[in-house]
Amino acid sequence: MRKRRGRKWIRLGRRIATHAILILACAFAVFPIYFIAVTSFSTLPIASITAQVLIPKESQLSLASYNAILFQQNSPNFATLIMNSLIFAGSAAAIGMLLAAFTGFALSKFNFPGRRTFVYFILLISLFPSFVMILPFYLMFAQLGLIDSYLGLIIVYSSGAIVFSGILVKNYMDSIPDDIEEAALVDGLSRTQAFFRVLIPLCYPVLGLAAFLAFVGPYTDYVFAHVFLTADTTKWTLALGLYNIANTDSGQSNYGLVTAFAIVMSLPIVAFYIAFQRYIIGGLTLGAVRG
Amino acid sequence: MADLRDQTTGYRLRHEWPAYLYLLPTTIVLLFLNAYPVAYTIYISMTDFGTGGRGSLLNYHYIGLSNYVTALTVDSSTTWTLVGNSFFWAGGSVALFLLVGLSLATVLNQEIRGKSIYRTVILLPWAMPAFITILVWANMWSYQYGIINGLLSSIGISPVDWLQHPDTAWAALFITNVWLSFPFYTVVFLATMQAIPKDLYEAASIDGAGSFSQFFRITLPFLRPTIIFVGLMGFLFTFNNFYPIFLITTGGPGISTQIFITQSYNQAFGAVGASPAFSFAALYSVLDFLIIVTITVLVIWRTDLTRNWLK
Repeated sequence: MRKRRGRKWIRLGRRIATHAILILACAFAVFPIYFIAVTSFSTLPIASITAQVLIPKESQLSLASYNAILFQQNSPNFATLIMNSLIFAGSAAAIGMLLAAFTGFALSKFNFPGRRTFVYFILLISLFPSFVMILPFYLMFAQLGLIDSYLGLIIVYSSGAIVFSGILVKNYMDSIPDDIEEAALVDGLSRTQAFFRVLIPLCYPVLGLAAFLAFVGPYTDYVFAHVFLTADTTKWTLALGLYNIANTDSGQSNYGLVTAFAIVMSLPIVAFYIAFQRYIIGGLTLGAVRG
Repeated sequence: MADLRDQTTGYRLRHEWPAYLYLLPTTIVLLFLNAYPVAYTIYISMTDFGTGGRGSLLNYHYIGLSNYVTALTVDSSTTWTLVGNSFFWAGGSVALFLLVGLSLATVLNQEIRGKSIYRTVILLPWAMPAFITILVWANMWSYQYGIINGLLSSIGISPVDWLQHPDTAWAALFITNVWLSFPFYTVVFLATMQAIPKDLYEAASIDGAGSFSQFFRITLPFLRPTIIFVGLMGFLFTFNNFYPIFLITTGGPGISTQIFITQSYNQAFGAVGASPAFSFAALYSVLDFLIIVTITVLVIWRTDLTRNWLK
């Protein structure tokens, strides 16, 4: 009897410890996000970013920062930044998805000579640190007259996730039985037709993920955009706009503006990640884990 | 189509040649945007390109390996600092990711109330774009206006000048980096743990195995492939993870938190007024590349990591 009661206490203690650890982990996870959210609504001036900002009084809350970044900001205005981000990231996503589909198809459904070499080759060059390519990129694109242009930066972005997404799509296609493709061939379709009409529709989920991954990179890229869009602020992206208000010359950035900007810019990405979390995690581990 | 594996090369060429057409666009893109710039970078590392006291901007020459000789002799203390920092940054981060991820996944892998809420909340940092949250973290570590010192002072601890001392600067970087990555590792390990058959644990506990020996005898062996995979990926990613260091410490104080990639960027596009040394920017990235290729080849050779990709 006594022994049983002891067990019960151990179990209760264990449960309390479990929740305590998890609440601590959640607090750590949420704190910066809470700080971003609460600061974006705060009217307190920058010098009073102390703990009091964390528990705001109602009178200290306003939408002024959102109003400022969304409607008051010029050179360039927020709508322009969004447009440009969509142009760059959207183009990169479309190109990236298409290339990933072709690559995945070739690697999964064909047994051509040189396949192994090709995979090792793309893995090898994907290991080269991408930020360092800015220098050769800049020199190459300057010679082509593609600095400060949409086309130049879109081309640069288009290779971003290609190796990873190609392997991602290949793994997915590996799981589609060859019978499906063969049945289409028996029905008189060519291999190309079978690819476009049968395999591609079956791959919509993984192609969507490939497009998303190819989108997020350019959407949040600062370094390439900074080097490639030197003079022309009308082509600036959201990431450049955010960096610019976060690092003002005076050294005192306006936290209200920075955080409001951060919230608006993150929301669509966060929503997508949370909605498709299991799927994305499965993809990021290349199917090693089913999130 | 695995049944074709045994066919001769000629037969495969005749029947499988369309694959080359499908690979053509990707190959062109990769040659133009990866292979050529890599070769170009290697070439630049063997010139005196730049104005950092080592040549000129527009008129540069091939000088063989003399930059490498400089890096290993005159500049060797910088080079070895970068090697040490890069390994410390990547290795330390991955060790923390694995530690925190495995611990939290183990805690979450129980029958507890509110599990899916915990899981979703823990995932939030992962869902935020890293560039944005790193910028915010950089502001949070600020000496004068940062919320972290604000919190410390509200509980009576005097503010810490985080980014002015190597030890605290590293602490700030590691804490930020753990925040960025622990959600992903936790959820990945949790998912792998949930795939372990329950009967194994039941059988083990009938045989009298405690929870520690269950963890080390059942859970850990099952997780091994996942740990190797995400560990290697995390190491390669962190070794070249530019933004945390660039946005939070910019490699400072001095070069005490500088890694290859940030030093390379600084040499080429660094502080306003500083003279760019493109040749050394290129050299650091080549060294970076050589190191991670070596590590990757070793890991792939010693494990069966790429088996699925080449099946």
